[in-house]
Parts: sequence; C-alpha cells; structure tokens
Amino acid sequence: MILVIAEQKDGRLNRASWEAVAAAQQLSGGQMPIKVAVLGSGVAGVAGELAQAAVTEVLAVDAVALGIYTPDAFVQAAAALIREQAPQYVLLAHTYQTRDFVPTLATRIDRALVTDVIAIRTAEGQAAFARPMFQGKLVADVVPQGPAPHLVTVQIGAFRADAVQKGQAPIVTVAGSVDAAAIRQRPEAPFQEAKQAVDLSQAERIVAVGRGIKSQENVAVAEQLAQAFGAELAASRPICDNGWLPMERQIGSSGQTVAPKLYVAVGISGAIQHLVGMKGSRTIVAINKDAEAPIFEIADYGIVADLFEVAPALIAELKK
Amino acid sequence: MERETLDVDVLIVGGGPAGLSAALRLAQLQQAKGGDALSIAVVEKAREAGAHQLSGALLDPSALAELIPDFKAKGAPLACEVSRDSVYYLTPRRQLRLPITPPPFRNHGNYIISLSQFAKWLAGQVEAEGIDLFWGFAAQAVLFDGQRVIGVRTGDRGVGKDGQPRGMFEPGADIRARVTIFADGVRGHLTKELMRVLQLGDHSEPAQFAIGLKELWDIPRDRLAPGTVVHTLGYPLRQEEFGGSWLYAMPDGRVSIGFVVGLDYQDPLLDPYSAFQRFKQHPFIAGLLSGGQVVRYGAKALPEGGWNTQPSLFMDGGLIVGDAANFVNSMRLKGIHLAMRSGMLAAETAFDAVRAGDTSARALSAYKARVDSSAIKTELFPVRDVHQAFSGGLYAGSVFAGLAMMTGGRLPGGVTGHAGHTRLKTLGHYYGMKKRDILTGSNAVTPDRSLTFDKLTSVHYSGTHHEEDQPVHLLVHTEVCHTICGDEYGHPCVRFCPANVYEMVDNGQGGRRLQINASNCVHCKTCDIMDPYGVITWVAPEGGEGPQYDGM
Amino acid sequence: MKIAVCIKQVPTREWQPRLNETKTWIREQEASYEMNEPDAYALEEGLRLREKHGGEVVVCSAGPARVQQVIREALARGADRALHVEDEALGAADASTAATALMAPMKEEGFDLILTGLQSDDQGHAQFGPVLAEKLGVPHSTIIMEVQFEPGQAGAIKVKRELEGGWFQYVTMPTPALLTIQSGINQLRYATLKGIMAAKKKEIRKVAPPPGLVPRLKVVALYAPQKSKQTVMIGGPAAQAAQELVRRLREEARAL
Repeated sequence: MILVIAEQKDGRLNRASWEAVAAAQQLSGGQMPIKVAVLGSGVAGVAGELAQAAVTEVLAVDAVALGIYTPDAFVQAAAALIREQAPQYVLLAHTYQTRDFVPTLATRIDRALVTDVIAIRTAEGQAAFARPMFQGKLVADVVPQGPAPHLVTVQIGAFRADAVQKGQAPIVTVAGSVDAAAIRQRPEAPFQEAKQAVDLSQAERIVAVGRGIKSQENVAVAEQLAQAFGAELAASRPICDNGWLPMERQIGSSGQTVAPKLYVAVGISGAIQHLVGMKGSRTIVAINKDAEAPIFEIADYGIVADLFEVAPALIAELKK
Repeated sequence: MERETLDVDVLIVGGGPAGLSAALRLAQLQQAKGGDALSIAVVEKAREAGAHQLSGALLDPSALAELIPDFKAKGAPLACEVSRDSVYYLTPRRQLRLPITPPPFRNHGNYIISLSQFAKWLAGQVEAEGIDLFWGFAAQAVLFDGQRVIGVRTGDRGVGKDGQPRGMFEPGADIRARVTIFADGVRGHLTKELMRVLQLGDHSEPAQFAIGLKELWDIPRDRLAPGTVVHTLGYPLRQEEFGGSWLYAMPDGRVSIGFVVGLDYQDPLLDPYSAFQRFKQHPFIAGLLSGGQVVRYGAKALPEGGWNTQPSLFMDGGLIVGDAANFVNSMRLKGIHLAMRSGMLAAETAFDAVRAGDTSARALSAYKARVDSSAIKTELFPVRDVHQAFSGGLYAGSVFAGLAMMTGGRLPGGVTGHAGHTRLKTLGHYYGMKKRDILTGSNAVTPDRSLTFDKLTSVHYSGTHHEEDQPVHLLVHTEVCHTICGDEYGHPCVRFCPANVYEMVDNGQGGRRLQINASNCVHCKTCDIMDPYGVITWVAPEGGEGPQYDGM
Repeated sequence: MKIAVCIKQVPTREWQPRLNETKTWIREQEASYEMNEPDAYALEEGLRLREKHGGEVVVCSAGPARVQQVIREALARGADRALHVEDEALGAADASTAATALMAPMKEEGFDLILTGLQSDDQGHAQFGPVLAEKLGVPHSTIIMEVQFEPGQAGAIKVKRELEGGWFQYVTMPTPALLTIQSGINQLRYATLKGIMAAKKKEIRKVAPPPGLVPRLKVVALYAPQKSKQTVMIGGPAAQAAQELVRRLREEARAL
C-alpha cells in the first residue's frame, strides 16, 4: 500500500499534493492500493477534495495540536499513522514544510528517505527513484535500502497534478496521535514582508530577454510580454552589463539559477553561461531570429522569427 | 579597518613550480643546516594549488630528481613516460611526418604531466614542511624602501565595482620580508613593476612571448597509446608566423592538445584562438579527436625570448625566478624544470643571505652566479637567439636553429630581437587598399560546437569565475580605443584575447565603444603583452578567483 | 556557549562531471573541492553569534582525509577547533549516514546550538540537519534567516523561519537546538593571514566512524540528464505561430 501525505494550510490544500498522488499512482502501476492522508485540525474540507481521486481511502488525521504546523507535532502524528497503516511507501511533495519535518520523521521510524525525486524507474527488480545531483549536472537513480516503508518526496512540477485519475474515495477520520507537551517549537503567526529583492527562483514563469532586444527602449516589449504571460522578467548577462535591467534579474553562471514551470527566452542566443542557469526549467520556449542559435538545442518549443513581430502577436493571443 | 602586517625572513610571491621549489628547498636547507628557524611565506592569487597552472606538459625530471630524489615513492603525479615522439609538418589537407625527430623534440626519459596536478602535489610537499602557504592572496604592489625591496602589499578584498568597500571589506596586507623571491610567472605583474622602477631590463634583450591555448579531451581509449607525443608545424600558421602544436596522450583516453602562436605576428586581423580551432579541423587532428569530448580549456602566455631576455635577476632584497625571469627553452618547449631549478638556486642564495645578515644586491648577486654555472645556462645559452631568428620566417629560423644546435650555440650569433607587439603591422600597411571587415578575424572559423567552439563557450570550460561586483582589473587607456585604434589596427584586443574579455559594442550613437568583460579573464597576460600601443595593464583581480585548471 | 557548525566538502561549482567505471559515482581524483556554500553561511552565522554572545565554535565534518581542506578553511575564518570523523567511504555517503557518523562524538560534546547549511551542493538531499537533530534528540527548525537569544529566558532561542511565497515566521524553542541556515543571509568573511597561520595550531579531533555503518541510499546509476523531447519548431507568420505556441503551451505542456 502506498501512503501519500498531503499538505494543507488553514484549510487550503497545497496543489503540489496532487503531484504526489500522481506519483503514487505511477509507482503503484495499478498494483498497490493508495491511501491519502492529510494532517491538521478541522480538515474535513480538504479531505473532501482529496477524496475525488481514484484512491482507496482518504485519512483525515485530525488533532488540535496539528492545527498549527510544528515539526514535532507532525513527526509524532505521521510516525503513529505510518506504524498503524504499515505502507510500503510514503510519498509527499518536496515543499518547505516537507523538508522541515520528513527527514526527522524518517529518522524517528528508522527508515530510508529519498528526496526531490523527478522520475520513478525500475532497477534490479525494485523501484528506483531518479533525483538530481551536483546542482543538476547529473541525475542519480537511487534505491532506498533497508526495510519498508521507504519515504519519498517528489520535486514540485516533476509529476503532473492533472494526470491524477479521478474517482470517489471514502473518507476516514482518525484522531491524530500527538502529545502536545512534547512539542518543543512555539511558532508565531506567519507574516509577509515587503519584497526586498527579486527572487527569480520562486517564479513559476519567467520571460528572459537577451541581446536580440537591441536597445534599452525595447525592453518595454519584453516587460509587456512578461506581463501577458504572468511571468517575472529576467535577462541574460549582456542586458544587465549594459544596465538595461538590474543585476538581480540576471540568469546564468554569474547570476541566478532557476527552474520555473515555463521559461521563455526572447532574443537569447544560448551561450553556455546562460544555459547553465535555466536548463532545468520544465518547459522552455525560444524565440530568436537565428536558426543556428544554441538555445534551440534545449528548447521544447522554438520559433525562428523576429521577436518584434512575435512578441506583440503573443501578447494579443494571451489576452484572449 | 586595520591593515594586516606580517614579517617574515623570506617571502615567495607565486605558488607555481618555481615558487614552490624555492619554498621546499628553503625547508631542506633549514633542516640540513639547523640553526634559528627561518620564517617563510608563500602568497598565491589562486584559490588553491594548481588552479592557475597551465602547460602542455612534458616534464624533464632533472630538477625534480635533485629536489626530491624519491619523487616516485612520494607519489609525484607523473601521468606517464613519453613512449613515442613524432613531428609533423601540416599542409591544409595533409600531414608529412619528419623522418627524423629533431633532437629538441626528442623526449625520451621525460614525462607527460598535468602541471596543475603536479603543482598540487608539490604544494603538499611544501605544506608538510610546515611552511605557510597563503592561497587566495594576490600580491598587488611591491613595497620599497628607496630602491630596496622590502616586501609586497596584497590586494584589497571586498571592493565594489564603483571602488567603494562592500560589506566584508578587507584591506590588503603588507608582508615584509628580508628577501622577496618573485615567482609571479610569465609577464608577472610585480616583476613588470620591478623592471620599470629598477630598470632591470636595461641590459637585456626585449622579452618575447607566445600564447599557448590548450584543451583537455577525453577520446576513445584505445585510439592513442599513453605516452604518445606529437608536435606539428606549419598549417594553419603561415611562413611569417611562429608557432605550432602539441598533442600528448595520457592514460584512460585523456589527451592534452594545444596550439602556440608567437606574439609577434604581423597580421593585425589574426586571431590566435581561431588558429587553434582551425588546427583542430585539420583531418589528421579531427580524426584523432573524433568521438571525443572536450573537458577543459585554458590559455596562457609563455616566454619565448630565451637567455638574452632574462632581466637583471637580483636587487636589494629581491630575486626573480621561473617564467618571470623568462627561463624557458623555446626550442625544447620546456620551462618547468628550469623554473624549479631557478627556484632552488634562489632559495640557496636567500638562505645564505638571511643567515649572513646581508640581503643587499651584492650579496644576492650570488644567485646570478649560481644560475650562470648551472644547467640553466648550459641549456639556454646555446639556443639564445633561436626564437629571435624565427622573425626571419619559418625556414630561416629552422636553419638557424639547426646551426645553433650543431655548433653548441657558437654559431651563428648576434641576432637581436624586438618586442613582439611592435611587429604588428597596421591595417593599411598589411592590407593596403583592400577594405576589410575589422570585426572578423582573417582566419575566423565558424564553430561546429562539437570539435570547435566559440570563445565564450571555451571560457565556460576554463572554469574561470570572478566576483562581478569588483573594479575592472584590466586598466586600459581607452582614448586610443575610441580614436585611432579602429583605423590603425582594427581593435586587435578583440582577437588576441582568448577569453572574449574585450568587445567593441554598439555605443548607441552609431559608433562603437570598448566593453571589458573582466570576469571572463583567464589571467593569460596576452593583452598586457600584445597590445600595439602598450596601453593595457593587467593587475590582479580579487584573490582566490580566476580559472579552475583541474587536470591542466 | 558551545556552537557546532557542520560543514561538508563538495566538488567546486566549475567541476565538469566525470563518472567512474561503473557509472555509479563520480571520479574523485581530478575534482577540485571547496566548502559547501550553504555551510559557509552557517559558519558565518556561528561566528557572528560567538562574537555577540561569547563561547566557542566547533566545526564538525564527516569525510575522507581530503576534507581537512575545508576544516582548515573554517578554522582560518575563526572557528576555534574541529571534529573530523574520518573514513574514505564517507566521501560518497548519503546525508543520513553522515549524520549517523557524527552523532556519537557530537552528543559527547554537548553543544548548545548546532548549525548546518540548507543542503549540500553535491548530493543535495536536504536531510542532514533534521536527521542529525533527531539523532541528537534536540528540536530543530529549517531555513533560518535570523537567530536571537530570548532575553530573560536562559536556554531558549527565537528564530525567523522562511516559508514559501514571501512568508516568514518566528519560532521559539529551547536549546540545545539545531538550525539549518538560509544561504545569503550575511556576508561571508575572508580568512586573514593571521587566521590561516593560527588555523595550523588549532585542534582537529579525529574520530573513527562507528562500526556497521551502512548506506541508507544506493546509487545504481549516475548519468547526464537527457532531454526527453525533440524541439518542436513552430513556423508560419507571427500571428499564426503565436496562436500555435499558446495552444501547445496550454494543452500539451500545461505550462499556462
């Protein structure tokens, strides 16, 4: 049986949890039952959402002490749940919260954990999990050792939430097993801070502009395109060297490394210094006048054309 | 913030084979002769040993065997012994093997090595002696007391592009020493300062240089036997140009391949980097590399002028060793053993001087005497004018070289040299009335991205890395760039820099301006050497940065 | 106050991958190494806390002999002494194994605060910190931007945690505790000449790993990432191409 642990906050399901369910369905290959658990206080609503998948059961693990996230409470509750349910695998999405408590959980129950998985393979008759290593330069197929359950976290965007087979699963409410006195962290309410610096690594979509934009005035075209895509604006090195965009928007070996869902490279030739900063992006679109530009080698979609013609056309199309 | 100071007996500037050999020899003398411990320090701009070391390389083990007799037992990383030597003359399509390998190209008894790994190992030997090795400290200026060298000042760290201190600013340190041994390499920027201030070049011929471009490749394992050494002359260089290539096969399918171009060429539109790419396209070479993959790239200047270009080697409080002293045998293409030996001799002199309490120029002149009665002179003196003779062309140079060899340097003689950059002809002079696109090199190559590459891709393979937010370390008097250079020479810096540091970009007003991409710099010194107006000065960027020459 | 900073030695960012014979690990011989950058930020935070509150900073590392390089660097930057669990096999160890190797000697030391980086730039499991916390039996928090000691409450810290999407949170917990430090929260100091010289005299306690250490994860294949799809070139006049691209992005790639 595969146990997926979904994530919710204030009654809102984290969409990445669906990706973990999709991964579970792939791992199971129809051979293993899948249960989805969600931890919190008053999680009936979220459980209802999760029940619309083709899974065996949804477990609403409810406890007051789980109302506010702390690693101590979640480790306790999850450990108890896993001991009770005895799954082969435990799957989660690799979110900030998961990173905060799952390694501790794995150690509490003394089991192997593979994190940041991008694909599921088979090796030596068992499931092997592909994950990036050496900052994405290499990929490793990893087999967790030791007895079951094995814990796995999947990289956000590596599995497709819309690939989840739909269905109707029964919901079981379980009392979360947490000793509140043993919780050592005392968190305060989360708050937002005014963004001080551009953090491109958090952007889901990025439109990046290169030398093909020709002049500072034309950067406005790229800005409009970024807006149309609902994306952050970024640039290759020459643009920032010229001062046309600030240094913090630079992508590449002397700037930031990003891996958004969508990367649109406009007028960028694809020098290797730029590629190393973005080739991990899920979907790459390249627009360049030069058919020989190296950027086309790593793009998923390419348009060989004048960006000053394609950009307005795209803006118009996206507005529809 | 307070400037750090350190006082030592002997300071060695530069952690390459010359500097490290000097340090090790000092430790050995200390042990052999006992007495008060000498305090010794080595400063090196690279982040770690070997990071900035680049050479072919074929090591003549003579100096190593004297410095560390049990070098094999101590694990010296000698990739393999040279097993077969051959020299080829290339035409555009064919290769003609020379039936007899000329004596300077015979390498029996020598080793193919990675100089970077060798330097790493040598540094380990020095460290084991307890000597302080300060990696990531770039000596920036010589400290003088009148005409006496009293040490060096290292560069400030944490300075922004605008010259203002950044968060973690550290002023450079003053390291004072009774004797400073300058081992700052080819066209060392401190040795250059010494030569200017103390007129150390007054009695020498002008220094001459070449640029060496190198790549490491992984090719199918069974193609070349380890120990195979190939040198070529001819294509793609013309009669008027000096240079050639090497190809050394190491174990496990690893190949060191490189191209040397004398920095005294006449064609202002020549691009040495393109010559290297063209060379790789030759069917003979392309065949050897096919199916392989490039692993690393790098470039560095090398001294070519030989014995007569050595500066005055000693001064009050200072000595010059290695490539900085131009101790390279350009006939045999070897300098590592000479660098090591000169370091050892300087160490012996410095040791005596410090112990005797006299580190004046007179006392330190013993170094020159040692060099004159050493294998350095025996080797370099007979071939002292060979490189200069090549200014007469490939045939004249070869004949001269042959005669020099046969007569042990007695005949012919008296060929004087000129600084290479003065031989660069203007566009008008070289191309006459022919209109030329000055932004395209005369030997340009369109890279195919598997055998040949553009400069920017190669820069990536050099692993070079600099903090972007720091002052530009290439000081250029750009008046010339924006006025006469375009018409006179067509901005040769764009071509002779092997790392795309210099670019003439659109200035937004219908003209062009010089853009310096300082963080691409691989510290080769070619721009400092080859600029026809002499307006480029290379200074060290922040310590700990630059290329990462793993395995080079 | 006794602060531990766990550091790892990793191949440099400029390293070009080269695989070993079995293609299950890298060829270490030619790699150049450096301190894991996230750990450098943890070290800087540890040094700043010592400057503010007194005590000592002890760097802890598990790995082969070559990790001396980064231990010395940490000592040169100002750490007081070091603990090195040395074994050749630890060079490729997964995060959990490394934490197990360090557990016993670190427990013995009785640290008040243990700092680590977010994850290593080589294997990048992002597990080491929370695993070690559990093994040492101390509370932890991750992705920490700020560390304060609670005034008037001995043995407690208040930290600022980074959450997704620009959110933050303050968390209080008792010491001893373990924190994984966010990268870039402070400027890294340089090692001075004096620091480098002093480092040679500082204590590096070498300890053998516990017997019976088995890897938790087995790498069965290591390879360069392959592009799974061919580039789809979209031609035609601009308006048509734009329409086609948006359609494919919506329907095929689900990127919009």
